[in-house]
Amino acid sequence: MGTVDADLFVTCLVDSLFPDVAECSVRLLRRGGVRVGFPRGQTCCGQPLFNTGFRDLARQQALRTMALLESREVPVIVPSGSCAAMIRHGYPELFAGEAKLSARARRLSERVFELSEFLVEVVHWTPSPQPGPAVVYHASCHLQRGLGIDAAPRRLLETALGAPVAALEPECCGFGGAFAADHAEISAAMLERRLHQIEMSGAGLVVANDVGCLMHLEGGLRRSGAAVRCAHLAQALEGEWNGLQ
Amino acid sequence: MTTAFRTGVRAALANPALQEALDKNAERRRAGWEAAFASLPESEARKRQAAEVRRRTIAELDAHLDAFTAQLQGQGVVFHRAKDGAAACHAVLAILQSHGVHRVVKAKSMVTEEIGLNRALLAAGIEVVETDLGEFIVQLRGEAPAHITAPAIHLRRADVGRTFEQHLGVPFTTEVAEMTAAARRALRDRFFEAEAGITGVNFAVAQTGTLCLVTNEGNGRMVTSLPPLHIAVMGIERLVPSLADLGVMLDVLPRAATGQSRTSYVSLLQGPRGAGDPDGAFERHVVLVDNGRSAVRGSTLAEALSCIRCGACLNACPVYQEIGGHAYGSAYPGPIGSVLSPALWGVGRFGHLARASTLCGACRDACPVGIDLPALLLRVRGEQTRTGRPSPWLRAGMYLFAWTIASPNRYRWAQRLAAMASRAAPGTGGWIRRLPPPMSGWTERRDFPRFDRRPFRQRWELSAQRVEAPATAKEPSVADGSKGAPALPSPPNPLSRPFRSGEGARGARATRTFMEAVERIGGEVFECRSESIAFEISQFLRREGVGELLAWGRSSPTMDGILTRLEADGLRLIEPEVPDGPAEERAARLSRYARMAAGITGAVAGLEDAGTLVLPSGPGRSQLASLLPPLHLAVLDAADIYSSLEAWLLSNGPRWLQDASGLVLVSGPSRTADIEMTLTIGVHGPKRVVVFVVRRE
Repeated sequence: MGTVDADLFVTCLVDSLFPDVAECSVRLLRRGGVRVGFPRGQTCCGQPLFNTGFRDLARQQALRTMALLESREVPVIVPSGSCAAMIRHGYPELFAGEAKLSARARRLSERVFELSEFLVEVVHWTPSPQPGPAVVYHASCHLQRGLGIDAAPRRLLETALGAPVAALEPECCGFGGAFAADHAEISAAMLERRLHQIEMSGAGLVVANDVGCLMHLEGGLRRSGAAVRCAHLAQALEGEWNGLQ
Repeated sequence: MTTAFRTGVRAALANPALQEALDKNAERRRAGWEAAFASLPESEARKRQAAEVRRRTIAELDAHLDAFTAQLQGQGVVFHRAKDGAAACHAVLAILQSHGVHRVVKAKSMVTEEIGLNRALLAAGIEVVETDLGEFIVQLRGEAPAHITAPAIHLRRADVGRTFEQHLGVPFTTEVAEMTAAARRALRDRFFEAEAGITGVNFAVAQTGTLCLVTNEGNGRMVTSLPPLHIAVMGIERLVPSLADLGVMLDVLPRAATGQSRTSYVSLLQGPRGAGDPDGAFERHVVLVDNGRSAVRGSTLAEALSCIRCGACLNACPVYQEIGGHAYGSAYPGPIGSVLSPALWGVGRFGHLARASTLCGACRDACPVGIDLPALLLRVRGEQTRTGRPSPWLRAGMYLFAWTIASPNRYRWAQRLAAMASRAAPGTGGWIRRLPPPMSGWTERRDFPRFDRRPFRQRWELSAQRVEAPATAKEPSVADGSKGAPALPSPPNPLSRPFRSGEGARGARATRTFMEAVERIGGEVFECRSESIAFEISQFLRREGVGELLAWGRSSPTMDGILTRLEADGLRLIEPEVPDGPAEERAARLSRYARMAAGITGAVAGLEDAGTLVLPSGPGRSQLASLLPPLHLAVLDAADIYSSLEAWLLSNGPRWLQDASGLVLVSGPSRTADIEMTLTIGVHGPKRVVVFVVRRE
């Protein structure tokens, strides 16, 4: 077993819709020498509540999640850019002006890591090269712009494939949580633009680190009858090229 | 409002011409933004500095306003404070009526859009003509501007061609240069006949009372200097504390707005026309508009007041790219508009705009003054939800969701239910093709994943290798929350670029850099020895076939020598002067000046960074010579070349600003890209700018 202890905050979307992504994440972390824990009782970080403006509800959920993740002082790994950003930036905003709680939120934010960030910057894990399909990388907005994480996932992917990996222009896929249902038409127009870029890239697989974007892209690709599929970075690094399925 | 918004969105998405125009706008503006900031040394530090200037201004706004109005008073500028849009319109109307004004020309101003000034003036029987090309087009069409800096961005050239055919009586054309020329012709007489000019203000300097206008076409210069009366309307937050701060802002605004390192014209206005000035407005008024800004200062959206109206967030926004400006139904569209509109005029009317965003953060990255737009959009959403205005399904859905995730047990049950229900939904494999409302919008165009029968938590429990994490900690107590104050940006870097004069060993290099910069922005430039300059200019004018030209007075020995030579060579020099008097006489005089083929001026400084000429007003220094004729010749002494605007502002600038009633920075010819982003040279100002740099041995 590994030498570093860390807890997995799996996120509700991965847990409920794409548990394979979580299994790949756990396997990866173990390869990186991490002893993975799974705090029981975790549900959702509260991001949908925060993003739709239900701040009181989001705040209560943040308090629960914070207490849960405070049960031991180890790194918390999140296999999703936007959920990691929620805990790192959203929680301190929710508790701003409340000295004790915002101090707790800040302490937690310091030990919350997005998966690729943790693998590269904390445990310095390097994947061994393996053959794979033609891949294109989609930089999720909350990951790249919100958390400033861009080099780590690309480096992992390129090392794993032993080749340079093309990336789509950094642009939103149109997901945006409730936005995709509330403003479905705008969202669909943005998605269409993204699907066109994917098609132009000639890749057979789109890789990203946020299942929000991925389920949106995959849903669009399937509907349009495209043969291109989507995979979470953890799946790609584990050679699970079938992706989200 | 929500319904109107959705209707607008649908119309925009179904309009292929608009889609094409918006794509082009996004593509070009983003590329322009990037290139322009790449050309700015230490651009990140500069943006942080700009952000700090804006935050400091807003934090200390009352003191800056006091200093500013005291300065205005000292300069003889009349100021008016208006608490809302109606009061501001009333103030403007009162000034116009007391002067018996019936014809007004306007330069582009967002705050006058905000307060609905044109409507108010037209209702009072005053003719108002928008003179910015884009604004002129949308005014003819009876539309609102579709973008903060590019009002006619939603139109194709053929649309403009038809509009001009219909309203100006010119033959239909799709040639942008021809259309621009038609607008120039149509507006010329308006400028000359106007009894008052109205503009906005890009920045106002509190310590010096300087009004700064950043423009490209030259119409802003005409509006502030041709009519006898100038009224500037500004939001109270347009201030910056000092001239040095202005230098910082002028580095970022044009880059973020149009991808230029400096716009063709930057006007710095102080007071009305001076005693010996040959031209300029006799009377200047400043209307300071609050219209909700003071209240925003005390709110969690205060950061939005830092906005400098560059429009970069619109250009970066993927939602704006899909729906354009009109759908927003506010004078301020796009990401900043989705914060400003509800901040200024209520979450009830405009809060829904903040929901039309994926929070992708492209706006935050594009903002040159570091406004955290996604955070502000989230605060607006929070406020809209708190005041009970989200849609019923959203409220019901979110309460149910919150109740479910609050308990791991309920959450597990919900997973099971969702897995069962989603297996029953129609689809193929792991994906659903159709869902009922409110998810029907999603499945219109995309499949939705089925919930997994075996969520990860279940798999984890079954896994033999698991490492126990401690069980859920006790439920923490839930205390009341309050909203956070906006975060301040990082502390500023001290002014880092040193003052350098064009003297000594650096001189030759500075001259070369300056000359390259002039050519880069479409100007022409010649280097001459002082003995031969008069001859060279005379030769140049002969080659161009110029017989008479507008000229500055004999303000320096160099100018004296040149003008003497030109006269000796048979050229007719006219030193413009626009005295007070009947409107008809003024119009006739101005239109005579405008027929001149050329104008000659003597720049007091040249700025290397953008090929800029500094032209102050004052006795013998007509502004018309560099504005009305299509060809502008400027003489510049190589020793007066400075590295940057800031270098000049920190050394010689204040002296000139103190003495002059106004000053303009000219960078290349007059230009516009208001029709289909097609660059056209020579709108209202000169088509050609020719600089003669006098080398000193």
